[in-house]
Amino acid sequence: MATTAEKMERDQKLEGIGCSRKRKEDPRFIQGKGNYVDDINLPGTLFSAVVRSPYAHARIKSINKAKALALPGVRAVLTADDLKPLKLHWMPTLAGDVQAVLADEKVCFQYQEVAVVIADNRYIAADGVDLVEVEYEPLPALVDPHKAMTADAPIIREDLIGKDEAGQGKRKHNNHIFTWEVGDKAGTDKVFSGAEVTVKQAMLNPRVHPCPLETCGCVASFDKVRGDLTVYITSQAPHIVRTVVSLLSGLPESKIRVISPDIGGGFGNKVGVYPGYVTAIVASIVLGRPVKWIESRIENLSTTAFARDYHMVGELAADKNGRIKALRVNVLADHGAFNSHAQPTKWPAGLFSICTGSYDIPTAYVKVDGVYTNKAPGGVAYRCSFRVTEAVHLIERMIDILAQKLNIDKAEIRLRNFIKPEQFPYKSALGWEYDSGNYPAALKKVMEAVDYAGLRKEQAEKRKRGELMGIGICTFTEIVGAGPSKACDVLGVGMFDSCEIRVHPTGSAIARMGTISTGQAHETTYAQIIATELGLPSEVIQVEEGDTDTAPYGLGTYGSRSTPVGGAATANAARKIRDKARKIAAHLLEVSPDDLDWEIDRFKVKGVPGQEKTMKEIAWAAYNNVPAGMEMGLEAVEYYDPPNFTYPFGAYLCVLDIDRYTGETKVRRFYALDDCGTRINPMIIEGQIHGGLTEAYAVAMGQLIAFDADGNHLSNSLMDYFVPTAVETPKWETDFTVTPSPHHPLGAKGVAESPHVGGIPCFTNAVNDAFSHLGVTQIEMPHTAYNVWKTIHELGVDKRA
Amino acid sequence: MQVKLEKTFPIAAPAANAWRLLQDIKAVAECMPGAQITEQTDSTHFKGQVKMRVGPASATFNGELEVKSLDPNEKKMEMLGKGTDTSGASAATMNLIAQVRDSGDGRCELIGVSDVSVSGKMANFGGRMMIQVSDQILKQFGDNFATRVIAMGEGAAAEQAAAAVAQQPKELNALALIWHALLGFFKNLFGGGKSQGG
Repeated sequence: MATTAEKMERDQKLEGIGCSRKRKEDPRFIQGKGNYVDDINLPGTLFSAVVRSPYAHARIKSINKAKALALPGVRAVLTADDLKPLKLHWMPTLAGDVQAVLADEKVCFQYQEVAVVIADNRYIAADGVDLVEVEYEPLPALVDPHKAMTADAPIIREDLIGKDEAGQGKRKHNNHIFTWEVGDKAGTDKVFSGAEVTVKQAMLNPRVHPCPLETCGCVASFDKVRGDLTVYITSQAPHIVRTVVSLLSGLPESKIRVISPDIGGGFGNKVGVYPGYVTAIVASIVLGRPVKWIESRIENLSTTAFARDYHMVGELAADKNGRIKALRVNVLADHGAFNSHAQPTKWPAGLFSICTGSYDIPTAYVKVDGVYTNKAPGGVAYRCSFRVTEAVHLIERMIDILAQKLNIDKAEIRLRNFIKPEQFPYKSALGWEYDSGNYPAALKKVMEAVDYAGLRKEQAEKRKRGELMGIGICTFTEIVGAGPSKACDVLGVGMFDSCEIRVHPTGSAIARMGTISTGQAHETTYAQIIATELGLPSEVIQVEEGDTDTAPYGLGTYGSRSTPVGGAATANAARKIRDKARKIAAHLLEVSPDDLDWEIDRFKVKGVPGQEKTMKEIAWAAYNNVPAGMEMGLEAVEYYDPPNFTYPFGAYLCVLDIDRYTGETKVRRFYALDDCGTRINPMIIEGQIHGGLTEAYAVAMGQLIAFDADGNHLSNSLMDYFVPTAVETPKWETDFTVTPSPHHPLGAKGVAESPHVGGIPCFTNAVNDAFSHLGVTQIEMPHTAYNVWKTIHELGVDKRA
Repeated sequence: MQVKLEKTFPIAAPAANAWRLLQDIKAVAECMPGAQITEQTDSTHFKGQVKMRVGPASATFNGELEVKSLDPNEKKMEMLGKGTDTSGASAATMNLIAQVRDSGDGRCELIGVSDVSVSGKMANFGGRMMIQVSDQILKQFGDNFATRVIAMGEGAAAEQAAAAVAQQPKELNALALIWHALLGFFKNLFGGGKSQGG
């Protein structure tokens, strides 16, 4: 019999689930040996640069490319007129709309793509851009979404005039995209009309940008002889790109190879298909040479997809004890000039209806109206599942506002309203089935860790002295892992994901997935899952993603779906292999498969010590000695269609101090407890939490994509757009509880987005809390020192005695 | 992005001369650093260019100028200028109302009210410096205008002014402008220049 110590040693050697194994990717990243799209240098590569509109709204009167074409080294200049014969001047979006690839007679946002210059090198391409002469007739710009549906609003999309729908149901105005409703309107209205207490608050999740370190780009290479196309691309969803390129170009998918190499951060920005990609591909097909397009930072911030821009009005109905009876939400969503919202096809507001949050709210109603404005298109999930940040923001602000009105402590009101542990699986008023959770335990653990009562006491004393101290709480529930194909698809493809594992004769393995890491260390964590499931050391398990020629079809990585969907596919594929291995082991040991027990890395005959076969031995046998009638080899593929989403949750608490004269905010403490079910690599989880909290800090305290009244972009360089460095970033304290998902093969949930989704409301709740004793109910983000100072000054808090 | 600026330039020369110069659109345009009228399309419409240099990079703005009104009684002129750089990456419009007021004693002043609006790259990056830079451009315009008016007279001052007109730079040096704007910004910030005497 193996002793416990021996078993532990064998288990540790695998470095499987639960091990804080170091990231396999890091040696190459920290040595500058990563292989990003811009590192791809094919012989004879040409470079593409984009001519962009200086106006937010204008008619194009003429484009003169003669001077650019005359520049030595310029190979081609493409405009909408050149793409028209190919029917490629417009392209479909993920949201059922169309988007101009190159502006067709009209530009609808500043920096919109008007023409591309293809040249021998980047410098000539950039010089060529300056030589393309475009004559514009400026039109009035529509910047404020609240004015989008007025009678005299300028019409942005002339191509849609007379069309009463734009891919998402009926529209009621030329600038209207859709109305989306969910919940029980009549029932909700009835609860509100008879409620003991109601609160109502308008709030804004302002337009921000994911701003990944690496901007978007691609290298398209069409081989005229072989007739096939290879595209290296910064994509979080390479298989979807292949399908889209096939549909647009008419090339069969088998002639298209899309490769996402190392990606320097995605955060939703790299989900969409952008004109820069399409024009590089067209140019390569036309010229028969590789064409590279790499976005500048300015282009990234001003054209490729933004996030949020949700103008929300929330209402809660409750009794006098703060027990919530109903939620009503009206949202105006600014989608920019084209509806290229990132979403499962049928969800024009993504998963926003998770906005009942962690609370047992019996009745709810949500209405979202999407409108066009003269701004860049997008609406991606910036480190969150589709629109979940907005949903959590809404409910977490509203419950604070209700607490303030009723003078109930902000932690106490949450404890009174939480869905109780025994209520899971819990069906929400807006139709979601929460898989598992233990919300009171999480919040109580945090309150104890930070001495919550002591902090409130300190705050009360400081308030007497006129000092500003804020305590923010956020007890969020996320919905991640899109998603069950009965509910979710992208362009008609169900949102499953996949894994294919091959075990080699000597007991090492290669695994390929339909997801793609953008920095999350999939090579490390997927190998850990396989290590535990197959009893092979994770060190010898090679994980490959991102090459559509080798990886099985998958929907990619966003919305924290890799572990919930890809991870489940990996576990199931490994289990198929283990099932086959059991049969081989039984054959080798001359027993029935039922007589075998699995133990860490081997099958053992029940009750017969020493009669065992390790997975390494079984792998060898799979290639020379299998039971009669069995195929040789040891491999499996799994396409996993999740039965449900996973619902990770957490309890966050932020303590901050505000200088009453300058508005400068110092985060004194940030305590983040996350529950993502089974933890595969705790070190990587902690890293994810640190990253997500830092991006939450960025959004809450500084990030904003702003425009002037003419639609000029005011935030498209890092001089204006806030990206926190180690200098600004607060210290993070992390903690966890483990409530496994009952439907996931490993009990795991997504995690990378929780800190972003939960962090933003926590910061803004803390800033608002600092002023709540002065009657303030809503101070909008970003909480820059200047914005905070304005509030201070209006309230007269900075008056010196 | 829009900025409204009002400025008054004292000129050590008679109002009649200043008004005479103000009606000479070509000469007025050339008071703008780097600006030049290239073509007159009709009695009130002109085409022109502004050459701009930022370090080693230079850009040319092509524009149109329309004289909207000329009022001899009020000695007042209103014009509208529109320009885009040749690549179309930035655009600017300026509505200028300029008026000559006699201050007696053979002197006068030029009062300028301008609405400047810019779009494109200039609005994206120039935004926070626009007031300061526009202020500097107008100041140079005022200086050049005054010099030219004085040069229309006689005597040593006029000869000196005429020489200065000849030396006027043919390009708008944006770096120098930004430098002056920055100096102005810091002076304002620390209250320098105005309060030091007191």
